[in-house]
Amino acid sequence: MLLRPSTNDLRLIAYNVARMLLISAVAGVVPLLWAVAAGELAPASDFLVMIGLFALLGGLGVAWKPATDRLDWSHGMVVVALIWLIVPIVGSVPLLLSGNFASWLDAFFDAMSGITTTGLTLAQDIDHMASSIILWRHILHFLGGQGIIIAALSLFSGAGTATLYFGEGRDDRIYPSVRSTSRFIWLVSIVNGIAGILALTLVAYLDLGFSFVRSFFHAATIFMAAFDTGGFAPQSTSIGYYHSAPFEVVIAVLMIAGVMSFGVHFALWRRRSVMGNLETKTILATFAGTLLLTLIGLASVEAYGSAAGLGRQAFFQVLSAHSGTGFSTIPSAELATWGGLAFGGMTIAMALGGMASSTSGGVKSLRVGLTVKSIISQVKQVLLPEGAVISDRFHQNGPRHLTDELKQGVMAISLLYVALYLLGGGIGVAAHVPLQDALFESISAAANVGLSVGVTTPAMPSVLKITYAFQMWAGRLEFISVFALFGFLWSLARGK
Amino acid sequence: MRAAALLFIAVLLVGPPAMAAESVSATMLLETPQSFDGHEVTVVGELIGDYGYRDDGTVWTQLNDDPYAFSPLRDGGRLLGGNVGIGIHAAADLFDGIDPPGRYNRVGPLVIVTGTWRYHDPDRGGETYLEVASLQTVRAGYPLSEPVSPTTLVAAAVLVLAAAGALLLARRR
Repeated sequence: MLLRPSTNDLRLIAYNVARMLLISAVAGVVPLLWAVAAGELAPASDFLVMIGLFALLGGLGVAWKPATDRLDWSHGMVVVALIWLIVPIVGSVPLLLSGNFASWLDAFFDAMSGITTTGLTLAQDIDHMASSIILWRHILHFLGGQGIIIAALSLFSGAGTATLYFGEGRDDRIYPSVRSTSRFIWLVSIVNGIAGILALTLVAYLDLGFSFVRSFFHAATIFMAAFDTGGFAPQSTSIGYYHSAPFEVVIAVLMIAGVMSFGVHFALWRRRSVMGNLETKTILATFAGTLLLTLIGLASVEAYGSAAGLGRQAFFQVLSAHSGTGFSTIPSAELATWGGLAFGGMTIAMALGGMASSTSGGVKSLRVGLTVKSIISQVKQVLLPEGAVISDRFHQNGPRHLTDELKQGVMAISLLYVALYLLGGGIGVAAHVPLQDALFESISAAANVGLSVGVTTPAMPSVLKITYAFQMWAGRLEFISVFALFGFLWSLARGK
Repeated sequence: MRAAALLFIAVLLVGPPAMAAESVSATMLLETPQSFDGHEVTVVGELIGDYGYRDDGTVWTQLNDDPYAFSPLRDGGRLLGGNVGIGIHAAADLFDGIDPPGRYNRVGPLVIVTGTWRYHDPDRGGETYLEVASLQTVRAGYPLSEPVSPTTLVAAAVLVLAAAGALLLARRR
């Protein structure tokens, strides 16, 4: 029987949610300053409304301080699920006021897509959108990818705050304390940020021929979307806008950096090899496999007249899909025509996703590797003589044992992803979207990718907008926090 | 109405060389790009984003022919879906004296461009774009301003003050 949460439980949750809303208020100052500097005064006043709302809710929550500040697992999970709902709700205010969205639902969809690092959008006339609004959409990527919880863990101490870290679907513990781990994640982000923005600015200025300020603006926004595997772009034609192979190369490097777990970043910083890790081997194998499928699919219909064109376009699109970024160099209308093996390659790449504890979504490579290993182990069990002992070991930053408990956990989450993909696909078909397109869009939303074959438009039914927003939220948090929130709400209503 | 008038003027302005080219929209080019590969086409639209001046003496930019090109959102236009645009590539001298491209605070020049549609160009790594031979301005670009809403300002002031009060209360506790 579920116990009804006490007042102190509610205070504890409100207090921790509030602290993170205050961080979001501070994050809102960045686009506000940009808006003022760029002379975008109407959007600046919209940001003031948002900052005021974040700060008011944060202030009220912090004022309602609990008697004890010890978070247990259920508190932590509920806090994380709530944060990932409240930030897009409040963060959608400047989007709605910008006039580029037809309804609050569309603005909320975009903010949810931003914070979950998905990249699907319902924005209209992006090409005339205020640069500060564009910047805020990309900062949402950064808040979701690098952001709110990690910032809170770096700044605040308190018993049980580690539950917040794990509640976000992260399981890398690079240093013994979560606080030190969070600070390392920030360090990695800052170093990559400086290098990435510098490289993109230089290419935009020297190769693309943009003005310096515009080069920096494109670089900063593209960096946040690439490193956080988000997928929003400052122009409607995504990366196809730039018509530059060198620019695509820098973006590809950033997407690869984004798809790597922070444990891998740590190992690379320490000059340790990660090639022996099951996760590394799996992601290299699945990337090669899905790229090969896509190449064969496109080559069989002679989509490109040259090997260079085929290789460049297929590589970029598959990397974008596998990393969960969602950038594209081709229009949605063209992507929708990719059938057969090319469609299969792209869809599988999106569904599998990147590394665990990275900002990418999907099933994740470690789970894929462990699932394959479990199946091989089962087959061996059947084929070998009865009583034979099979060693279920794997290498992931050292030797590990594949226990039954681990197998069950991996299978459960993997099945939940498949169920989520099918749920969105089914609702899409019910909304009269062709099966192939419905499946593609559903996987793109649930795996936080953001590629679209043209289903996600402001004209799509509200039920699909709500479905995709839910898929982005549940997929990004890897389900457990979402279930914890539902359980918490149930216990509030029906608990004893 | 204004959009129709602009299109009419655009058609009148299309000179004899361009008349040989097929008049198409960006939507047509994007929906069946391969059917226009290598064809001479004429498109009317707004120049958008940036003019990327490359070292080889050419410019890359984007041409939008969506409803916002003819009836800008912040100049009486309505929300009518996403943008529709194509990449264009032209000699830099075609851009001499041209108005800045369209963005938030300005409407870009409305131009008629005629050129060759390149679909999955093998010489450019499979890119798709319009290689522009001629460019004529139909409507000059112009600046836009978005007034600050007094209601939004009042709401912002109230919320910021209330937030300051809540934070003071939290600090006292």
